Amino acid sequence: MVAAELLKLRTTRAWIGFLLAGLALAGIAAAGTVGTAEDFRLGTTELSREILSASGIAEVIAFVVGIVSVTAEWRHGTVTRTFLATPRRDRVLVAKELGIVVPAALLWVLTTVLALAIAVPWLAFEGSSFALGEELAGYAGRILVTTVLWGALGVGVGAIVQSQTPAVVGAILWVLVAEGLITAALGLADLEVIGDYFPGRALSAFDGSGEEGGLSTWPAGAVGLGWVAVLGLLGHLRMSRQDVT
Amino acid sequence: MIEVGRLTKRYGATLAVDDLSFAVAPGTVTGFLGPNGAGKSTTLRAILGLVHPTTGTTTVLGVPYRELDRPLERVGAVLETFDAHPGRSGRNHLRVLATAAGLPTSRVDEVLALVELSGVARRRAKGYSLGMRQRLGLAAALLGDPEVLVLDEPANGLDPQGIRWLRDLLRSLAAEGRTVLVSSHVLAEIAQTVDEVVIIHRGRLVHQATMDEVEAMASGGTRVRAPDAERLGSLLADAGVESRSVGDGRLAVSAAPERVGELAAAHGIVLHELTAERATLEEVFLELTRPGSQEIEA
Repeated sequence: MVAAELLKLRTTRAWIGFLLAGLALAGIAAAGTVGTAEDFRLGTTELSREILSASGIAEVIAFVVGIVSVTAEWRHGTVTRTFLATPRRDRVLVAKELGIVVPAALLWVLTTVLALAIAVPWLAFEGSSFALGEELAGYAGRILVTTVLWGALGVGVGAIVQSQTPAVVGAILWVLVAEGLITAALGLADLEVIGDYFPGRALSAFDGSGEEGGLSTWPAGAVGLGWVAVLGLLGHLRMSRQDVT
Repeated sequence: MIEVGRLTKRYGATLAVDDLSFAVAPGTVTGFLGPNGAGKSTTLRAILGLVHPTTGTTTVLGVPYRELDRPLERVGAVLETFDAHPGRSGRNHLRVLATAAGLPTSRVDEVLALVELSGVARRRAKGYSLGMRQRLGLAAALLGDPEVLVLDEPANGLDPQGIRWLRDLLRSLAAEGRTVLVSSHVLAEIAQTVDEVVIIHRGRLVHQATMDEVEAMASGGTRVRAPDAERLGSLLADAGVESRSVGDGRLAVSAAPERVGELAAAHGIVLHELTAERATLEEVFLELTRPGSQEIEA
């Protein structure tokens, strides 16, 4: 079942677009980071960390791929055949959640490799080097995990909303705009701590790309995982009694 | 083999299927007939577990579709809507299904050959003609070599050659002992293929009969031409057979030609013409699904 989900992703051309978009944006981010780095930052682990953060774009792409992996089925009517082959719809959803791990991880690997392929020779050319530090591996690893979690969140959103454009646009707007606005509004009542539990803010607190404050790493990761479970469950409730006409 | 028990499906205020019950016996080909909007697709989708009944039950091979183990190897289906991703090739579409069902890829190439689609199998499905799409749907249905087939309007979009091909395919599938439920809004399209018909109208069963019975309903009276039509008419009336003059020495008689011919011979009446009259199957179908006709049959 997971293999079937992977085959679905692989056998349309959409993945090429997603991959190219991810690589282009990660490449620009990495080049921008090195190109604009002041001399005193060259060779610092802080700069290395910023270079690695270029693969954060993989999180966004994985989120969209996760959404589309469900909405495309409704959009093109393939959901009929999917449910005929697997009438237990919860299994379909679980297979999609598991199936998203592979493309999400792949996106992270390729964007990270590209960022390093740009930054390492460039730094060498400038007479510097890519500084290594113990915490860098943990940081990169957390981006990988976050990318996978975003993919799974996308599957949940897709299962709930089902209509492709509203799902993608709505989810992106929520993460980029609504979470910040609502948190700011909550701040007026001294309740901004609630905002820390929103999925986008929790996951950026987990991978370390978020603003100062907010949840600490592991609680933030747990909140992110909780959102995956909640959205998955809502998606399941939505699909299980649904008529496919 | 397929059982629909008091199925009712309501979409908001619309009653799509209304207390419908029928059964399809193993090893038969059953035509599922009704005008557009009669509730055929909803019923078939309920049988396949895609639509949840408001009340009532549907089973295939004795259990609800959702409880079938390895369903594609038990039941194959073609539904009216195109269900392949336009950007995926026909072959990859089937590979996805085969993978989900745990079937070997070799089976994909077998069904592609069976529906005569091997030549375009690696092309993206968006370029497929309506006929190719129907064939791809049939290929998907046959993937698991199922014993039961549920086909919703499979002849739609096929040209006359395609319909002939489909008819031959259905006949050979039935000859292998499979159970086939095939819907259509045109009786003549499937009349030569089916053993039985289930006719629904406005979500209700109006008639379930064998094809022989339907044929019998279609057989009508006799048309006869005689120089002394008037005398023949009164002789028929004496024998309790209705007839009416249709002008020019012709009579329309509501009895079989044998009866009319024998009666004429017994009385030495010369006949110039004696023809059996048959209503077409389409006329029978239209009669059965005429508004109000269900009161007669139900």
